[in-house]
Amino acid sequence: MSAQPSIRDFLYEPPGPRARRRITAATVVSAAAVAAGLALVVRQFAVTGQLDARYWSFFARATTWRFLGQGLAGTVKAALAAGALTFCMGLLLMLGRISRFRPLQAVSRVLIEFSRGVPTLLFIYFFFLAAPQLGLKLSAFWKVAVPVALSAAGMVAEVLRSGVNAVPRGQTEAALSLGMRDGSVFFKIVFPQALRSVVPALISELVIVLKDTTFAYVVNYADLMQNAKVLISNYDALLSVYLVVAVIYILINYAVNKLAEAAARRTAPAGKEPLHGTDTRN
Amino acid sequence: MAQTPVIELRHIQKHFGTLHVLKDINLSVAQGEVVVIIGPSGSGKSTLCRTINRLETIDSGEILIDGAALPQEGRELARLRAQVGMVFQSFNLFAHKTVLDNVTIGPMDVLKTPKQQAREEAMTLLRRVGVDTQAAKLPAQLSGGQQQRVAIARALAMHPKAILFDEPTSALDPEMIGEVLEVMTRLAREGMTMVVVTHEMGFARKVADRVVFMDSGEILEQNTPEEFFTHPQTKRAQDFLDSILKH
Repeated sequence: MSAQPSIRDFLYEPPGPRARRRITAATVVSAAAVAAGLALVVRQFAVTGQLDARYWSFFARATTWRFLGQGLAGTVKAALAAGALTFCMGLLLMLGRISRFRPLQAVSRVLIEFSRGVPTLLFIYFFFLAAPQLGLKLSAFWKVAVPVALSAAGMVAEVLRSGVNAVPRGQTEAALSLGMRDGSVFFKIVFPQALRSVVPALISELVIVLKDTTFAYVVNYADLMQNAKVLISNYDALLSVYLVVAVIYILINYAVNKLAEAAARRTAPAGKEPLHGTDTRN
Repeated sequence: MAQTPVIELRHIQKHFGTLHVLKDINLSVAQGEVVVIIGPSGSGKSTLCRTINRLETIDSGEILIDGAALPQEGRELARLRAQVGMVFQSFNLFAHKTVLDNVTIGPMDVLKTPKQQAREEAMTLLRRVGVDTQAAKLPAQLSGGQQQRVAIARALAMHPKAILFDEPTSALDPEMIGEVLEVMTRLAREGMTMVVVTHEMGFARKVADRVVFMDSGEILEQNTPEEFFTHPQTKRAQDFLDSILKH
């Protein structure tokens, strides 16, 4: 256990000698179980021929990696565009939701529920199949980015709103007492503080956006997943390609989550925990 | 009284649900006057203080700032608020801004003071309250006493006609109360019009021009500190003074 206090210190009392023995035993047993499981998987792979050279040899070629790299670039571009769109739409929805103008409030509330309730794939199908018939023709890139953003915007709106609600009332009162108008109070005093407290949660939301871009295969946009499918059909190698691609996704999302943690540490005021920090410190 | 009072309250009524928190309050504060409002907790003194710049709304009655009725909303309300400073119990410094920016934001955003001038004025004010060396820090890095002095500088930066103090020392550790009261005393001596809600009887006795005693939403007595503390007129004021001055 590190010297830094962790969430565990708040949840449990420090273990005594008997508890420590039990923890050690449980650790050994579960490690053995995991190792056995892994061995079983590898054995099954060997038995079914998945470890054969023909499923793996093409990973030695530069062209394979260049192709996957292009897909990765497509994924990152789509995720960043979708992320930026998500933030803008989420911000607008949040502003509507907290507006004093009732009809706008109601409309925003419905849109937020709509965004949160409809599966991403449905949005994709809409932009892929229905929107062109209505005269809305987007490139494959935007056919991924827009629906993915739409489905995440409601969640981001609510995250932003929780940040706004967490800013103490006294901040607003102090700004009002200086004679500041509502717009200034919100955008100069309340929102910057709200944003700081939810930056970690927003970055975590980016992980969800990034994973949603895998729906790109529906619209034939060349992202990592789509390129993986091409490799699969070229080399007739399903498991090996999916395994490698899964590892790539894990690495990217792990990096993004690390970024969220770093942001949480940077933005948290001294001695205060971030509001929605994905706090995974041990 | 020949001059228009800086603050005038006429027949203020306010309810919180069924609770009658302000009962027909009449109060006027003259230019340069220091009015200290005291009374037991729950007597409505903080609420009264907060109605003066409409951080609390009132049910009926009139609030006049320098003879002009306090507007209900919008640009006009903001303009009048800018003329009345406020210092809060919990400081309420803008947590994401440096000490210097806390003091300049009012003048720059509301009075449209150019940045350079706002900064110079802010530094002068920070020096006056003795925290100029902390200008680049964030509020959370300062002690409570320092934060409250910054809050006073922030109010002063707007060149207000009056400053409202809502229990300015109640959230402070004992050793920091003195430094804040000292700044307030100096302000009073310099002629600032002040309304101070406080439990600091020493300050009331020494600095106030007039002491207002409130209990259960009513103003029961108004007098010079000398008279009030030595010859309270009402039983409730006597009991209140007995309870706090006994020790």
